[in-house]
Amino acid sequence: MNEMVRMVVVLSLICGVCALALSGLRTATAEQIERQILTYLEGPTVRTVLEGAENDLIEDRQKVEIDGKEMTLFVAKRGGEVWGVAYETVGSGFGGDITVMVGYDLTDDELTGVQIVSHKETPGIGSKITMDQYTRSFIGMPLSSDFRLETAGGDLDAITGATYSAQGRAEAVRRSVELYPEVKARLQDEIAEGL
Amino acid sequence: MNLWREFSKGLWRDLPPFRVVLGLCPVLAVTKSAIGGLGMGLAVVFVLTCSNILVSALRHVIPRKVRIASYIVIIASFVVTVELVTQAYMYPLYEMLGIFIPLIVVNCIILGRAEAFASRNGVLASAADGLGIGLGFTMSLTVLGALRELLGAGTLFDKPVMPLIYQEHPFAMMVEAPGAFIALGVLLGLMNAVTATKGT
Amino acid sequence: MEYMILIISAVLIKNIVLAQYLGVCPFLGTSKRMDTAVGMGLAVTFVLVIATAVTFWVQKLVLDPLGLGYLQTIGFILVIASLVQFVEMFLKKFVPPLYESLGIFLPLITTNCAVLGTAIMCIRNEYAFGQAVVFAGASALGFTLALILLAGIRDRLSVSPVPRALRGTAIGLIMAGLMALAFNGFVGVDNSLNALMQQ
Repeated sequence: MNEMVRMVVVLSLICGVCALALSGLRTATAEQIERQILTYLEGPTVRTVLEGAENDLIEDRQKVEIDGKEMTLFVAKRGGEVWGVAYETVGSGFGGDITVMVGYDLTDDELTGVQIVSHKETPGIGSKITMDQYTRSFIGMPLSSDFRLETAGGDLDAITGATYSAQGRAEAVRRSVELYPEVKARLQDEIAEGL
Repeated sequence: MNLWREFSKGLWRDLPPFRVVLGLCPVLAVTKSAIGGLGMGLAVVFVLTCSNILVSALRHVIPRKVRIASYIVIIASFVVTVELVTQAYMYPLYEMLGIFIPLIVVNCIILGRAEAFASRNGVLASAADGLGIGLGFTMSLTVLGALRELLGAGTLFDKPVMPLIYQEHPFAMMVEAPGAFIALGVLLGLMNAVTATKGT
Repeated sequence: MEYMILIISAVLIKNIVLAQYLGVCPFLGTSKRMDTAVGMGLAVTFVLVIATAVTFWVQKLVLDPLGLGYLQTIGFILVIASLVQFVEMFLKKFVPPLYESLGIFLPLITTNCAVLGTAIMCIRNEYAFGQAVVFAGASALGFTLALILLAGIRDRLSVSPVPRALRGTAIGLIMAGLMALAFNGFVGVDNSLNALMQQ
């Protein structure tokens, strides 16, 4: 009996101490990890869609709550003034979720670009949605556009052989555009409060 | 107990994975490049040395029946430490090693040393043992990685080394799976030949 | 249909040992003879599928809700180690002949990277439960296939004039490399199948 107790106690102690140490380490590194993920994963896409920004897009990011969900807004400045915003949205593609980063020009209410953050589409086929030639068309599109594939009556080009992937990307962009009015309003509040 | 002896045996006599055929899984996967091999090697040095020290320190406290479970918890904790630290401060390395960072926990070398050595010897000796074997492993990984990177991509630590013609048409198979197996097999064969002639 | 593609991918195209480098230690260790190869293949299949199923729910019901994602490694390996113990005891009591034939391979599977690796991959690839189980089974099938093939080759090698330095593990590795080369020919098949499905 004594042996059994000893086994349980020692094992529990070891597990407990390790768990405590690890959770401490986790808390200590959490913010740095978030910054790294943003820099390496979202960083390139944000910098592309908000080309011309003069500030550190990662450092100046804003966390807001919209529709009950927490969102990260990447804010672009020029000469100290806010001119653009970018944020992520998700759509359903062929192989899984497609995450896009859409950039907007706040003065013209136009899209500054669309980049794919992550996807699970078929390499060489569905993955075409990431290619420059298939994302260029988004630049300068006004908000009033119909963000559906032209095959469904909308304004977006189709991609041969990658219909589901293109649809998924379109869905993600649509969701982004739907959120824009609220995002813009929130940003204007924040600017008034001294962004 | 000769500390130098405990340390140096990992550098040749018990060199993993060649002299002691253990811990092969990560070897094939991370040695696509020299930096991958080096990175994984250093991670293993950390986990191996730390777990050896802790296991040795607790060797009189841990009951025999739960020793393997205890070792696993200890080793896994150090592995999670490596996971968090690389994610926070060396993100490109974290991405490169990918799933093989958590897989360090099932690297037979570490559990093997804990059971065979650290549980029976003092803390300093165990630390030396861990360091030696870990560094030996790092050497093997880096050499294999450098070889595959050189032949498969013409670069070394991402710097172009081979002549331009080679760069455009490298022996790409070397950075893929077949090249990994064959390179390891050939290196192992070479080491066996060296051992045979030296008589060690 | 997509399960078919998943299976073909796991067995032939992204073979767990010849393309993903998981499970190499036991792969080389038990491929020296055909009977040990078959035994290990069976044991791995058994444990892999059950381990993937259990760790899947551990992730969804314990780690995710409590925000303990970073403890995945430690949690999974403990689950696998306990599972193997449990399976051993179960087989010893209820299916002794199977327990006897699996012999020492069963406890060895705890440190088999293929098991932990597959479990983690299912979470990273965000599979649903059904997909995860099928993926695990197919991966195990791929492992067994490669194992049996290599065992067959090494059987022949044992009576061939292999240079002394290469005998044993070295030539085994080279043979595995040639097998990997052969399997490499399948790369791209799953993309074509996917493309067919998209049309």
